[in-house]
Amino acid sequence: MAFLEVKSLKKIYTARFSGNQVQALSNVNFSVEQGEYVAIMGESGSGKTTLLNILAALDRPTSGQIFLNGKDLGGIREKELAAFRREHLGFVFQEFNLLDTFSVKDNIFLPLVLSGTGLAEMENRLNSIVQELGIADLLNKYPYEISGGQKQRVAVARALITKPQMILADEPTGALDSRSTDDLLETFRKVNAQGQTILMVTHSVKAASHANRVLFIKDGEVFHQLYRGEGTNEQLYQKISDTLTVLATGGEQR
Amino acid sequence: MKIGLYSRLAWNNIKKNAKLYIPNILSGIGLTAVFYIILTLSKDERLSEVRGGSYLPTIMSLGVIVIALLSFILVLYTNSFLMKQRNQEFGLYNVLGMEKRHIGKILFWEMAICAICVLVGGLLTGMLLYKLCVLLICRMLAVNSILGFYHVSPKTLIPSASFFLALYLLTYLFNRIRVARMKPVELLQSTHTGEKEPKVKWLLLLVGIASLSAGYYISLTIEEPLQALELFFVAVILVILGTYCLFLTGSTAFLKLLKRNKKFYYQKKHMIAISGLLFRMKQNAVGLASITILATMVLVMVSTTVSLYAGIDEAIQRQFPHQLAISASYGVNGEYVPIPQEELLRMVQTSAAEQGLTLSYVEERRYLNCAFRREGNAFWIDIPNKHDKVISCLFITAEEYQKLTGEQLTLLENQMAVYAFPGNTGQTPDHFTIEHRSFTCAAALTEYPIPIEYLNSVDAFGFVVQNEEILTWIDALHKEAYQTNLSKITCELFLDFHDEETASQVFEAFADGLHKQISEYVASQPASNGSYGTSTSCKWDALASIYGINGTFLFLGLLLSAVFLFATALIIYYKQISEGYEDRNRFQIMQKVGMREDEVKNTIRSQILLVFFLPLIVSAVHVAFAFPILTRLLRLLFQPNQALFMGCTIVTLAVFAVIYVLIYSITAKIYYQIVS
Repeated sequence: MAFLEVKSLKKIYTARFSGNQVQALSNVNFSVEQGEYVAIMGESGSGKTTLLNILAALDRPTSGQIFLNGKDLGGIREKELAAFRREHLGFVFQEFNLLDTFSVKDNIFLPLVLSGTGLAEMENRLNSIVQELGIADLLNKYPYEISGGQKQRVAVARALITKPQMILADEPTGALDSRSTDDLLETFRKVNAQGQTILMVTHSVKAASHANRVLFIKDGEVFHQLYRGEGTNEQLYQKISDTLTVLATGGEQR
Repeated sequence: MKIGLYSRLAWNNIKKNAKLYIPNILSGIGLTAVFYIILTLSKDERLSEVRGGSYLPTIMSLGVIVIALLSFILVLYTNSFLMKQRNQEFGLYNVLGMEKRHIGKILFWEMAICAICVLVGGLLTGMLLYKLCVLLICRMLAVNSILGFYHVSPKTLIPSASFFLALYLLTYLFNRIRVARMKPVELLQSTHTGEKEPKVKWLLLLVGIASLSAGYYISLTIEEPLQALELFFVAVILVILGTYCLFLTGSTAFLKLLKRNKKFYYQKKHMIAISGLLFRMKQNAVGLASITILATMVLVMVSTTVSLYAGIDEAIQRQFPHQLAISASYGVNGEYVPIPQEELLRMVQTSAAEQGLTLSYVEERRYLNCAFRREGNAFWIDIPNKHDKVISCLFITAEEYQKLTGEQLTLLENQMAVYAFPGNTGQTPDHFTIEHRSFTCAAALTEYPIPIEYLNSVDAFGFVVQNEEILTWIDALHKEAYQTNLSKITCELFLDFHDEETASQVFEAFADGLHKQISEYVASQPASNGSYGTSTSCKWDALASIYGINGTFLFLGLLLSAVFLFATALIIYYKQISEGYEDRNRFQIMQKVGMREDEVKNTIRSQILLVFFLPLIVSAVHVAFAFPILTRLLRLLFQPNQALFMGCTIVTLAVFAVIYVLIYSITAKIYYQIVS
């Protein structure tokens, strides 16, 4: 069985008063191997965010199953979900979601503190991660004192420090300028090279072109996928652009 | 654009921001009503003519000043809060193309609508409640009069209305300046800028600790009631200053200290609570300190005024064990000689009979009442300085003591038996000197047959001496020191009438009759030079005046406390709202990072609880430290009963805590509505 296995996932939102139903995901199937770097692309309203929320266990599917490392996400009780998320998944958000009452260091520590890790162990993990991400001299600053790119690297450090099985990134480059975007994508590549599984939802062709594989979602289904193979980023970029053009002009391709 | 548009916009704004505006308008109405009521009470001639009502104008004028100050602070506070919450809205108007003068017009209309609501509502409420307050005050003065009609006086309506109108115009002015200075882009983003972590201001911390401890020190060490009165306001100001400084910096310093301890800090509960509180305290320090001060004021006012009022009967009973005390003397060759007891008694009985009164108790008591300057165990007759420590002493002979109490005391010439009156702060001596003559205390008495008047500001002792010679010796000392021929030795008749109620009503006629008889008697004495003096002290006069003072204080205390409590509730309410808007974001992030919803809720709730109950705890501590100085002050107002005051304080604290919790839980609901 693959590392992450998504089987015939379906999500229907029902409006509370009118009873109108909106189908966000109709039938999603895919799998991710350990150490893979996968980008999920799609237009607004295609169901990307719904998919990510369900993968993050923030939302429950209407039907279908998800297995992470052989464990059925649907089988986890409500009370254990927060701990599960904390220990097995790392998150990187578009809006960084750093707490402005914590210093950079404390923001990175937060998930570990929540799981009750000892101080020595925390310092240990922190040191190696901040060196790698180049944020060692920011540790005592506060989120409002650093740039967007730096904030996002802090968020990555916070995601990595729990040694998660998979990192879920939601439009991680959405709020960054082009230089910071390059930095972050480089960071992701390095992290992935060390064996970290990454699943990234994005709009950006450039961001997606750094992944090993790109899934396209349209109308709640996986519509197409591209593999990098031996190609360069530029070649993958080109392929993604072509695919998007086909998607947008309504080509029937499966 | 027409004028109608601005008024409509203003009206819509108020409706949309009802959560913010309704408490603002209600508090305005309450303040106006109370202001009108107190001002009218201070000016109402009908009331000042009521028995015991003569203190009303003075005490109520004090109340007017307090209410005026409080209104000023509260109206400006709520206004600045409203404006902060609406920054973005004004920014948006500006971006959409409204000029600042247009926004100014909207602001003007908003102010006008609020002011009209407040003035009309407040004055109407005030007029309606005035009657109730008058009834209440009559009740507290122990007067049965009912003042029939509704009292509406333009003399007080106009000043009340113009005061609040001026206040609202002032807020408009502030807001207009604020709008003139704003830059729309900044306003649109203002809520997104992060707050800096608070720094500990060590100087402020030191000032806070110093002034708080100085305030506490004054309260704990002061002994003399008169000195207490002088230093009380100094202590109050020191404590207020200390409270503000410590809330501003002390809390930050303490939390930072906790943060420095890494083992303690990096734990699930501590980390989030500590850094959350650090920021909360920074934003709320002034508000919390204000709540603390208001709460302390409420506690002090209610506990003192209630204990004063509750202690009236006891104080009267102690000072006036009998309904009437009369002494009379007449001049003979430049000396004053007391009218013989049986003569005086005969005259009293005749005058009483004329008024249809009969006596139920008669007793003569002969004593000497004299004040000394006390230096340790040395008593001196001269008191050159008003800051000298003064004691008030009563002396009776052992013979008189035996007559009045039935107990026999065996004393030597240099011995006295001593009784310390309740509420004394100085030590009771076991040996002492008067001028240079030495005495030892042979016995400590548990009762003394002569009541002492004005037991309010100084220590008082009752002595029993061996013989008459000592009394006359002290009297001679006094006459010499003060160059007077008035004797300090008093023969007083203590009387009770069978029918106290009637006696108090016909007392003036009785006193007139007695005076006539005394003047006739004095005229009939061959040795007399025609001059005479009488002194009467009667219980009901004292009752009326003490009920007058304490009742008025009680009324004002309760009314002001109600207003202060309301102000406290208002500040808490606005605090909950602003906290709610800020916490909403944090709440969501923490959940995304991996906290369960109920965990997030719990940590936030515990922070909020701590922040809101800190003022209650601190004000309880303040009250505990204020207790010594307040007991001294209460003695000045004839209330030396510490146990009663303690009881009143504890009950007040308990009731206040319950009300505080109620206020909290009501406002907490609004907070959770905002957060979730």
